[in-house]
Amino acid sequence: MDGITIKSKVESVDSSSNSKLASIFCMRNIKQGSMIFLMSAVTLILLSPVIYMVFMSFRSRREIMMEPLALPTKFHFSNYLNVIADMNYLGTVMNTVGVTVVTIILVSILSSLAAYPLARLRSKVSSLVYVFFLLGMVIPPFAALTPLYLFIRDLGLLDTYAALVIVYTVGHLPLGVFFYTSFMKAIPKELEEAATLDGASPLKIYWYVIFPMLKPITGTLAIFITLGVWNDVVNPLLFITTNEKLTIMPAVLRFLGTYSVDPTKLFPAAVLASLPLLVVFFALSKQIVNGMTAGAVK
Amino acid sequence: MKVDKRLLFLLPALFLYIAFTMFPVMKGISLSLTEYAGVGEATFVGMDNYKEIFQDQRYLQVLKNTLVYGITVVIFQNGLGLIFAAILNSIPAVRDAIRTALLVPSMLSLVIAGYVWQFLYAPMGGGLNELLVSLGLGSWQRVWLGDSSIALFSVAAVHVWMFVGYSTAIFLAGYSGISSEVKDAARVDGVSPIKSFFYIDIPLLAPAITVNITLATIGTLKSFEFPFIMTAGGPDYATMTLGLRIFQLIFSEFKYGSAAALSVVMILLVALITVAQNSYLRSREDKI
Repeated sequence: MDGITIKSKVESVDSSSNSKLASIFCMRNIKQGSMIFLMSAVTLILLSPVIYMVFMSFRSRREIMMEPLALPTKFHFSNYLNVIADMNYLGTVMNTVGVTVVTIILVSILSSLAAYPLARLRSKVSSLVYVFFLLGMVIPPFAALTPLYLFIRDLGLLDTYAALVIVYTVGHLPLGVFFYTSFMKAIPKELEEAATLDGASPLKIYWYVIFPMLKPITGTLAIFITLGVWNDVVNPLLFITTNEKLTIMPAVLRFLGTYSVDPTKLFPAAVLASLPLLVVFFALSKQIVNGMTAGAVK
Repeated sequence: MKVDKRLLFLLPALFLYIAFTMFPVMKGISLSLTEYAGVGEATFVGMDNYKEIFQDQRYLQVLKNTLVYGITVVIFQNGLGLIFAAILNSIPAVRDAIRTALLVPSMLSLVIAGYVWQFLYAPMGGGLNELLVSLGLGSWQRVWLGDSSIALFSVAAVHVWMFVGYSTAIFLAGYSGISSEVKDAARVDGVSPIKSFFYIDIPLLAPAITVNITLATIGTLKSFEFPFIMTAGGPDYATMTLGLRIFQLIFSEFKYGSAAALSVVMILLVALITVAQNSYLRSREDKI
């Protein structure tokens, strides 16, 4: 498109100067090419720690000591087998997936249900409640940690998955209410009005008319929840005491500890812990990028 | 007066939100006025926890570290993100592929990135120092995480590394909203690319700038994972941040009252900074 604009401009000014035209194209190509080269180099540099992580995970301790930067000469899969067994890898991945899925279901239902009146009613009450929910987005998760711990303890929910599901669900409610309210405001009211005339109750309208239309924004919300649950270490460390019930990142943390980490454990554990999210990311990268950047454009 | 039935739909979410977020926050404020070790009764100590925070030299350093860390990350992450987005926007052939590749680090978790970089930064046999030697830059070697004059910046650099792709993606979304006619017109009129970047791109990217700065600010102010894994707050408190200090008070010192007080300070700090930033950035948007 850039080329066409320039071409028409050049032609209208001086139709005979083909050489000038060619030189402009040539200049642009060189410029484009050098920019592509520059950004490819930058990208490679930024990805090098990830590549380093993968290469290191296949090397033996001796090889790493002798030549810290060399490529793997032979693939030591034994590193991986040890970590998978010692860290209870499959179990922790299943725990994380389970907690994530239940949280996504609860957040999407609870917050879309709450967003429905907030998006449709123009009253002081509903705008006040909306602001009250949004307040939750700026409160850092640390702020209420101690009282929350005491509360969960008093409810007898320590060391249960329920504690994690509750904390994650409530933690993502403000984001859910925010997403769904702005999304629903853009849905035309005609369908609901038709359903009301047919005598459907508000709950039926929400469930059969509104909820099915929320799929795109629910996808975006699911991405944020997945990243939040997957990467969290604080809540499981606080609420879960049995190692078998831990989610993935705190399991890595407990497995590795914090001082003088053994590279033959560190790198395979890092690759294994990142793998599920990276696979999902590459499979759905278009939707994820669109979801994560929604809101940047008015 | 007839109340709309749909208001009842608010109740489940509202109940859980009050019970598990607002009630604990209120409780936290009252807990911050006590000394409490998790068992037995909490002793009321008034403002003592707060006095300690604002009189203790170490706590003042924690506040300073947190701010320096936040400012460094916000500036470099968004500055680089903006430059990357501007360049990528001019090379549509590879734009999407590079945008995806740059997002890969932000798909790792903070814990994993922390571990990998701790190893890269290691003084002996660490990837970075070894690389410098093999490039003939041996004199640039540093004890990246052990030298108190640079440790905080070494940790901040990892934060920038991890999320610069995210900033880039948001700026690119902003670029997709700028009509190409405006830029073409400027180019035809002979406006240099640098001038068009400052006088066309930056004003039109105002909403993306607001989103990026707000996200980066909240993200850095509350994060504790990198200093926790890479330095444990050392050397000599050089990388101790607000989030990490609260984490330590809860998990290793069991001083719940002090932790609550520091959390209240953190809420106020985050709220103050984000409100100030937002009203400034939004008014900037409106002017344009």
